[in-house]
Amino acid sequence: MKPGKLIAKAILALAGFLAVFPLVWTALNALKNNVDIITRVPKVIFTPTLANIGYILGRDSVLTGLYNSVVACGSAVAIGIVLGLPAAYAVARYPNRWAGDIQFFVLSLRFLPPVAVAIPLMVIWLQIGLYDTLPALIVTYSLLTISVIMWLAIPAFQSVPKEIEEAAFVDGYGAYSVFWRIALPVAARSLIGAVAFSFVLVWNEFLIALMLSSSNAKTLPIVASELSQQGMNVPWGILNASVVLLSLPPLLFLGVLSGFLNSVFRQKKS
Amino acid sequence: MRRRSSLPVTFLVPTLAILLVLSMVPTLYAIVIALQNRELSTPGYSWVWFSNFADLFADRRFLNAVWVSVKWEIVTVVATMVVAIGLGVLMFEVAGPRLRNFYCLLFIIPVLLPRVSAAFVWKFAYHPLYGIATYPYRLITGGLIFDPLSKPASALFAVASVDVWQWGLFFAVIVLKLLETLPPQPIEAARLDHAKRWQIHAYVTLPMLKAPLISLMFVKMIESLRSFDLIYVMTRGGPGVATETLDMYAFSQGFIESGKVSYASAMAVLMMVATVITFTMLWKRVQA
Repeated sequence: MKPGKLIAKAILALAGFLAVFPLVWTALNALKNNVDIITRVPKVIFTPTLANIGYILGRDSVLTGLYNSVVACGSAVAIGIVLGLPAAYAVARYPNRWAGDIQFFVLSLRFLPPVAVAIPLMVIWLQIGLYDTLPALIVTYSLLTISVIMWLAIPAFQSVPKEIEEAAFVDGYGAYSVFWRIALPVAARSLIGAVAFSFVLVWNEFLIALMLSSSNAKTLPIVASELSQQGMNVPWGILNASVVLLSLPPLLFLGVLSGFLNSVFRQKKS
Repeated sequence: MRRRSSLPVTFLVPTLAILLVLSMVPTLYAIVIALQNRELSTPGYSWVWFSNFADLFADRRFLNAVWVSVKWEIVTVVATMVVAIGLGVLMFEVAGPRLRNFYCLLFIIPVLLPRVSAAFVWKFAYHPLYGIATYPYRLITGGLIFDPLSKPASALFAVASVDVWQWGLFFAVIVLKLLETLPPQPIEAARLDHAKRWQIHAYVTLPMLKAPLISLMFVKMIESLRSFDLIYVMTRGGPGVATETLDMYAFSQGFIESGKVSYASAMAVLMMVATVITFTMLWKRVQA
């Protein structure tokens, strides 16, 4: 093997290692007692403990945060599906003069700095009396989920072969049943990817949740970040355990999302 | 064969109406607040028109935040693209199909993490005494302290490294997929002309991918605007104001230090105007 190729392989292996090792290390630290973490020489061999994870799962604030995150993200994604998918289908299949502008408008929502959305909304929710409630968070997140799902679903619907839909029309299907019974099932795989992506996006969201909640509606990322605000006096193992808990749901979608990525690029090739 | 149908109207109008309301109400209201002098602590307010904006341009901390934000954009976007193209090409050159799939899976993991998690993972790793990332330095130097997050010169780069860890690796996967979509003939032709491997990529494949690579850079520029979570967790804008970006400064003005919502909103409005103009122009360019 040529030396150049060997170096290339070594660099790749190093990058792969760097991609996952910090996470693995965090997971290990979540299983350590504090004495095993605060060591100048990192300890690989230690007696594992479940105390940190037990502590995290036993805290009310963490459980409330988990509940809030699941409800807020779940509802926002559901709203995104109900409103985003049909709209995307209409843009993809019923071309009109404004199709380009609509797509640009949907994308431009992503340019808005989160602070610019969060500050006025905070004032608005305070005035209506909905500040620090889940409905306020759900409505705000819906803006994110609808636009992202729409943006990703338009190409997914466009990639459904037109002939299938035409054939269904010939068979006497109406426009709506073509959407329900043909387009949705055929595009389902890509659509699931788009939905999973929007879920990861709002699950990971931090700034808006931070500004729109003070006690009741805190989501998990906020709770996790607060654990560290108590300084480094908080046992590191507990912090590491909370990071692991926070990171698990998005990682569950690893398979779905990498499949989504593959399907996007397979379409481009053909 | 498509008949006239009510579908586009029933499917599009409600969604677009909701999106418009959800986006325009906060945007317009941000401008309204920016022209007033609201504070969180006091209920009353009056109209001060443009004095918040005038104050901003006299505020050295604001100007510093603008500069830090610009630096952040440049550093993260350039580093991400370099890492992505470098690793993407390497995977394309030396990894077989199965190894490629394996690396792709690994490289997607960091970007899926909540930024708060990523920030914590690396905040621990960069700890001067007990961190795993600073351990090699301690080992080599026999216990000298290396504390990247608390030095003004290195803090921004230390935080940016986490951003590149998340996005650079992810984009490497996309660069690889893009390379895989290229037709093999031009590469073969270049190879027959005895072009070296790096020459093939520098002069053949990457120029062929110019358009998608620019789009990719565009996406990264937008995502780089969302630096708040990383900075909030890792440095809180410190040491001093070395890593205080615009959104961090707006947040601390509006919430932590003084509750000057209007002042913070004026800043947000300026950011909004700047990003919307810049990205609209860039987008039209990319599309053209």
